[in-house]
Amino acid sequence: MTTERVRDTRQSLARPMTEPDRRATSATRRLIGTELRLLLRDPLTLTFVVAFPVVTMLVIGGSFGTTPEKAFSGQNPAHWYVASYVTVVIGATGLVMLPVHLASYRERGVLRRFAVAGFPRWSFALAQLTVGLMAIAVSCALLLAVAAPVYGLPGVHDPVRVALGMVAGSVAFVSLGVLLGTVLPSARAAQAVGLLLLFPSFLLGVGGPPPAALGTVLRTLSGYLPLAVVTSSVREPWLGLGNGTGALLASTSMAVVALLLAAHRTKL
Amino acid sequence: MTNSGVVMVRGLRKAYGGRVVVEDLDLDVAAGEVVGLIGSNGAGKTTTVECLQGLRRPDAGTVRVLGLDPQRDAERLRPMIGAQLQSSALPDRLRVGEAVRLFARRPGSQGDELLDRFGLAPRRGSAFADLSGGERQRLFLVLALLDDPQLVILDELTQGLDPAARREVWTAVRQLQETGTTVLLVTHELAEAEELCDRVVVLRTGRVLDTGTPAELVARHGAHATVRFSWSGDVDGLTELPGVREVTRSAGVVTVHGQRQVIAQVGAWLVPRGPVPTDLRVEVPDLEAALLALLDAAPAMTGASRATGARS
Repeated sequence: MTTERVRDTRQSLARPMTEPDRRATSATRRLIGTELRLLLRDPLTLTFVVAFPVVTMLVIGGSFGTTPEKAFSGQNPAHWYVASYVTVVIGATGLVMLPVHLASYRERGVLRRFAVAGFPRWSFALAQLTVGLMAIAVSCALLLAVAAPVYGLPGVHDPVRVALGMVAGSVAFVSLGVLLGTVLPSARAAQAVGLLLLFPSFLLGVGGPPPAALGTVLRTLSGYLPLAVVTSSVREPWLGLGNGTGALLASTSMAVVALLLAAHRTKL
Repeated sequence: MTNSGVVMVRGLRKAYGGRVVVEDLDLDVAAGEVVGLIGSNGAGKTTTVECLQGLRRPDAGTVRVLGLDPQRDAERLRPMIGAQLQSSALPDRLRVGEAVRLFARRPGSQGDELLDRFGLAPRRGSAFADLSGGERQRLFLVLALLDDPQLVILDELTQGLDPAARREVWTAVRQLQETGTTVLLVTHELAEAEELCDRVVVLRTGRVLDTGTPAELVARHGAHATVRFSWSGDVDGLTELPGVREVTRSAGVVTVHGQRQVIAQVGAWLVPRGPVPTDLRVEVPDLEAALLALLDAAPAMTGASRATGARS
């Protein structure tokens, strides 16, 4: 008896993961692999996340020339927009791509099928989080690859803060996307709500006119829009306009809250 | 619950926004049984099996599947259940072979063998969106049978299938029965229930109306017969035969309604009266007719019986 008990204790110490944990991990890995493969086969979704920021960046970036201007805090307007548009990718992924994808799965009963097959609910949310972050990384790389030969890439003054701003903003918006996808009743509703949330944020303080060109009310409002806050946390340390500490703290807080809410909704 | 009980439900109640869908439902399914839950749309069949799978939280009552609580022990229980859901789908661009690999919990889950058995092997590389309705149902069945589940729940299994595909799926369910797999079959196709089920539980508006083998239900609720034949002579003696309820005559055709014994009684009456009419026909009710009779009489019986006659 004593020997057996000792053996049991050793086994439990040597095996921190239980069998259901291991099965769930393996299921999550299979799910992430499948979701990434399916994303590559979905040209329309990829077009929106990749092409929309690239095309609008090319149009807006070329509209104000490349001469530094006061309205752009003394920066080259094209560079201002290159540094801004990486967060448009974050917004498009979190506010449109993920909610529509998740709501469509819910609407068609795909999530029920995964649930009855023993996939933990959180495993699907985790897969979406991974897919969203990877979509953002790939789209941002593509955006910069297109911007480089056209407008040139602005030098990064504070790479660490830029990276922190990108990570916090991505986690915030991808979590928000998962949350919206679990709350909204249909893919159509998710698309309507997603676009409604994306475009005001996009136009005010991110990809639209520079804040200096906005009236007082709109400028004040743009300072509180979540995507604009994420943009400040990236653009300021990137272009050397400031350290963006306040915006970074706000982005991080949003990331924590959105992640907790998404986790709660998906019973993480 | 018996020692070999796979499903045990007592006093299950579920309402959606004040509309009661399942009310005080008891259900037992023993190991190795194929039990059919039948009833018209809105009878509470799907809600009941969703509670069994932990997809819905019961408002009241006790539910145990393989000895586990589907809500509390969902993660332990779900790998033991193979389920084919009434309204569900897979991602459009997911291919058949990928679906099998995604849903199989361990290598060697008989995925290839199952794809072969259900005629899907040539469609291994096809996307879900490109499959016909029948192929999709067969794929769901394959996914439900991966990893040798202890309980298989099949909800409207043959919906949308052509007759040949339906026969194929029925054969597969009979094979499951032969291997001792417990199957809970949700259907409103009574021919399917009669063909496949050891025992049938009849639901209406969330309550159990009756339960038994298809033959028992037919005997209880369809124990009548009709005999028809052309006859030009008098029929006076027919009405006095034991079991006869009614005799009618129209355009030279005599119709005798009554209990099942009228089949033998009318035959015996005809034989000494000359050549037996060549158009002699006997109609006995099938499960469908029996259940229609049961549903007609339902208001008086609602809640009167429970589905606890599990085979032990």
